[in-house]
Amino acid sequence: MKKRSYIDSMHFTGRIWMVLALCVMISVPLFFCIGNNAWPTLFSVLAGLGPIAVIFYPTAVIEVIAFSPLLGVGGTYLSFVSGNISDLKLPCALAAMESADVRPGSEEGEVISTISIAASTIVTTTVVTVLVVVIVVLMRVFGMDDTSQVKSTISFLAPALDNALPALFGALGASYFRKHFRISVIPVAVILILLLFNGTLASGTLVPVGVVVGLLSAHIMYKKGWLKNA
Amino acid sequence: MSFRENGLMYALGSLVVGFVILQAVVFLIKAWRRGREIGISVETLKNAVVQSSLFSLGPGLSFSATLLMLSVSMGLVLPWIRLSIIGNIVYETTAAETALNAYGVQTGLAAPVADPVAFAAILWVMTLGCILSLVIIPIFLKKIQKKMGSTLQKRDNKWADAMSAAAFIGIISAFIGRALAGQGNMKMAVPGAGLMSVAALLSSVGVMIFLEQLGERKNSRFLQNFAMPISMYFALVLVVVLAQVLPENIAFFEFRGRV
Repeated sequence: MKKRSYIDSMHFTGRIWMVLALCVMISVPLFFCIGNNAWPTLFSVLAGLGPIAVIFYPTAVIEVIAFSPLLGVGGTYLSFVSGNISDLKLPCALAAMESADVRPGSEEGEVISTISIAASTIVTTTVVTVLVVVIVVLMRVFGMDDTSQVKSTISFLAPALDNALPALFGALGASYFRKHFRISVIPVAVILILLLFNGTLASGTLVPVGVVVGLLSAHIMYKKGWLKNA
Repeated sequence: MSFRENGLMYALGSLVVGFVILQAVVFLIKAWRRGREIGISVETLKNAVVQSSLFSLGPGLSFSATLLMLSVSMGLVLPWIRLSIIGNIVYETTAAETALNAYGVQTGLAAPVADPVAFAAILWVMTLGCILSLVIIPIFLKKIQKKMGSTLQKRDNKWADAMSAAAFIGIISAFIGRALAGQGNMKMAVPGAGLMSVAALLSSVGVMIFLEQLGERKNSRFLQNFAMPISMYFALVLVVVLAQVLPENIAFFEFRGRV
């Protein structure tokens, strides 16, 4: 029997885990409804789902097409289950690939990206779980009635919790902009102009815009021969 | 005990978290073995694990803000589940709000959801709203990867490098743009651009440039590998200190206010 290549074997394993992930996800509302005998009407679920689907279904398609070549096969199957792709998993994978001096799309890149995303997933999931345990313990020990009291207890940390993304992307940006200054100017300028017109645009909307503008402008520069020292 | 935090919910939460961690461990082992087979050194593989773990710790802790915000209306367990599987603050709050609106609950996320049926509706909307990628990836990923791979192979390496850098710079631009000129959102507790975000951004940029150059000059592999997490944590400590020493109206000033 012909041995599967690593990439084919990742697709095989990934597909199994994706189907399992779907079952696990569906089991949460299903078992809740069975356990509590609480069944919402189909109409109310569809009424709630409609506005969500209009925004997030096209975004899901764009994200799969835009991110999967950078994440690699294993990285895609992993990160689309645990989420937070553009704001954590992808930066992690690209930083790890840069450190290891391997390129996205190569087999070495595939390996490093998968390892990086797996480590990131384990850490973030564990951190959130530990936080839940700590909050429950704090509430029991100090007799707190609800989580708003926990929130005020750790309020001194709020500036760090609120600014984790600027801190993370500042470090990443410094490294990338220094190496690829020419292709950085246009996406940054376009995003800033968009925000000046509408400051409420969320990162979920800005990310696909930034990616498309970045790719288009880099392509034009490449065609014009301006990327010798991009 | 409330239906939002009873034994069943904790069991479901443990199932989801256990599943996510198990998948990550399986993929990690598979990739590690392949890495060794194709000659990647153990040190390089270890560095990827350590660097990514350090890199994820800060943002992981920042999820506590989302956890606490959502827990007011939904209890602790559902946000725990949602942040472990395809979760992010904008999606979760939007999904919960629309589900509650559809169920006629006017208080939104400001008050505990007391009706188990409305809570069940939130669970279904959150789940069905984010599963599309789990459906399309098993079907189309192989084709997408093949198409992208053959497109890249037809071109030279310079364009392949520029393309991945350009896509990632597009992502970075979105977050840097929000830190410099974004407006906050009161309801979703999303902070806007202000003194804190600019301080975090610029200090992280400054420390990163300094450490990268120092690493190159001293030929320090450690600095080259860990400049990013060090810069990130420096910026986070700095904003906590600034918030303590500056007057509140200056420290938390946001350029464009919050909607």
